[in-house]
Amino acid sequence: MSTLIEKRNLLEEFQSAFTKRGLQSHPARLKAMDWLIATGLPGPKTEEYRFTPIVRNLEKIVDLKPEIFESREITPDSFRVVPDLVCNVVAFVNGRYSKKYSHILDQGLHINILEALESQQHNDPFDLLNCAFAPEAIHISVDQGISITHPVAVVYYFDASSFVFSNPRWRCTVGNNSSLTLLEYEINSANGPHFNNKHAEISVGEHAQLEYTILQAGHSNEVQMNNTHIKIASKAHASCFTFSFGGQLLRNNLTLTLDGQGIDAHLYGLYQVDKNTLVDNHTVVDHRKPNSYSNQLYKGVMDGNSKGVFNGKVYVRPDAQKTNAFQSNRNILLGENSTVNTKPQLEIWADDVKCSHGCTTGQLDEEALFYLQSRGIGKEMARGMLLHAFGSETVASMKNQVIKTFIEGLISSKLNPNN
Amino acid sequence: MLTIKNLKAKIEDKQILNGINLHVNAGEVHAIMGPNGSGKSTLASVLSGREEYEVTEGEVDFLGKNLLQMSPEERAREGVFMAFQYPVEIPGVSTINFMKTALNKIREHRGLPALDAVAFLKVMKEKMKLVEIDQSLLNRSLNEGFSGGEKKRNEIFQLAMLEPKLAILDETDSGLDIDALRIVANGVNKLRTKDNAVIVVTHYQRLLEHIVPDFVHVLYKGKIVKSGTKELALELEAKGYDWIKEELALA
Repeated sequence: MSTLIEKRNLLEEFQSAFTKRGLQSHPARLKAMDWLIATGLPGPKTEEYRFTPIVRNLEKIVDLKPEIFESREITPDSFRVVPDLVCNVVAFVNGRYSKKYSHILDQGLHINILEALESQQHNDPFDLLNCAFAPEAIHISVDQGISITHPVAVVYYFDASSFVFSNPRWRCTVGNNSSLTLLEYEINSANGPHFNNKHAEISVGEHAQLEYTILQAGHSNEVQMNNTHIKIASKAHASCFTFSFGGQLLRNNLTLTLDGQGIDAHLYGLYQVDKNTLVDNHTVVDHRKPNSYSNQLYKGVMDGNSKGVFNGKVYVRPDAQKTNAFQSNRNILLGENSTVNTKPQLEIWADDVKCSHGCTTGQLDEEALFYLQSRGIGKEMARGMLLHAFGSETVASMKNQVIKTFIEGLISSKLNPNN
Repeated sequence: MLTIKNLKAKIEDKQILNGINLHVNAGEVHAIMGPNGSGKSTLASVLSGREEYEVTEGEVDFLGKNLLQMSPEERAREGVFMAFQYPVEIPGVSTINFMKTALNKIREHRGLPALDAVAFLKVMKEKMKLVEIDQSLLNRSLNEGFSGGEKKRNEIFQLAMLEPKLAILDETDSGLDIDALRIVANGVNKLRTKDNAVIVVTHYQRLLEHIVPDFVHVLYKGKIVKSGTKELALELEAKGYDWIKEELALA
């Protein structure tokens, strides 16, 4: 007699937890769940997840039995990762928004709980999963004509030792002529496994400025699904930075809709990982109106058995004449078993545009290494200098100097783990 | 200072150096000349420690130490400097930061205290003047977007900063116009003392009009086939290399 190991059916597990938790009474949740059942979770044949077996990774950690975790008392300092950064805090504790640990320093900045979960932005099955399970939706808003002095830190804090299924959902509105620095990161104080399935929608008003940084430096039992939809109005400026330094699987879907003229949009990403970490950045830059500019620079430094995926879609709609859209993905493979799959995807319907893309994957430049060594600099240090130079280009244009210095420090410390 | 005995080296399976013998004393300038493919640049590469070359035989003694056993950075710290034929562009590494790191590594090796930012800048200003290099170049990333001449000038600037005992100039004249050649040569001449030595690897005689050698060696098929004084360089310039090849064929 042979023993069969029963294959898990994650979708069924989600569905049954959904019913058990009584979430079907909410029409928006029910609609999302039905839709998810109809589309299904991404499998090995799903084009958008070809190189990213997220369901297989989730099966290793997901346990939907416990529902809510009471966390221990947390000191406000525990929410801090950037040492000298004075900031507003939007706190999520084990997947739930925590009013207690959130706080506002600046005038003109508000945090509210939204009644409605609805959204137009459901491009991905995990957007739907989030809608079905999100405990609530948070609205971070900045009044018009206000420059928010202190950054807003959106913090996902975990202190459970068992698995946490976390579905933070938030919206952020930056009013016309306002400016905001947004920083997002996870803290896992008990090192327990979790799936953080985030859904965020950000709207940047006319002449507004947004500097948004996603920092991922987690443990090997953390899966992050990061769905971020940013809509930008005329003459606004948005810079998005995604830094991935660790985790089991990190999938970032970053969608920028340029819904106005004279927009300046920048996307920077650095994934500098080792071991078995998989980092997958899917970006969409959608030019819908004329005369806007977008630039993407994603870089990878892959060691160990790590895997990188970059898929960059650029749409230039028929109306979006005089668009300038650029994209570049560059990778250095340090590990013998590390790999990168990169795919630019430009779809251009307008005829008077400037668009370019390029990607490179290679080893560390031996000639440059020898050059530095031949001047008396030791091999390890020379290697660190070159990799730092490579990676830090992605943070060069960041305006917030405190966050920038912190990120540069992370780039260096990852290169010299003994320091 | 430097004694090379029966040095043989290959890259992949191609034997390039076939038994080089050379002795260089402090205070001397040696020119290594020869037709293309004779092994000139290989010799410079082997001396500076390029890993892709495999030394199959022979020895190199530098100030009483076995040079061939040292890593490239150890050779540099001991006082060997190679001015590259093709200096590498390294975006994101600032020239000043690079130079400060390198200089302090070498000082550390010599038992000297590290220079702080102020002291370093003072030294840098002096050497910049010496080799006629502009501050604006040094404010940029290492060699990034530099013209051929600017790169070579930067090599000589680094030479001035690091004060090596033995400088190897690998085809430093290639790609230089006459003015740049003069500036580079003047820099090298100003740095010459009775305690250091220079090996000039070159295809043409024109650099040797400015950096006058004490000895000229002709490298052919991986061997030094003729040695002489600076007059030999002039003879090569006038007659080319063929007569040497013919001499060898007859011998």
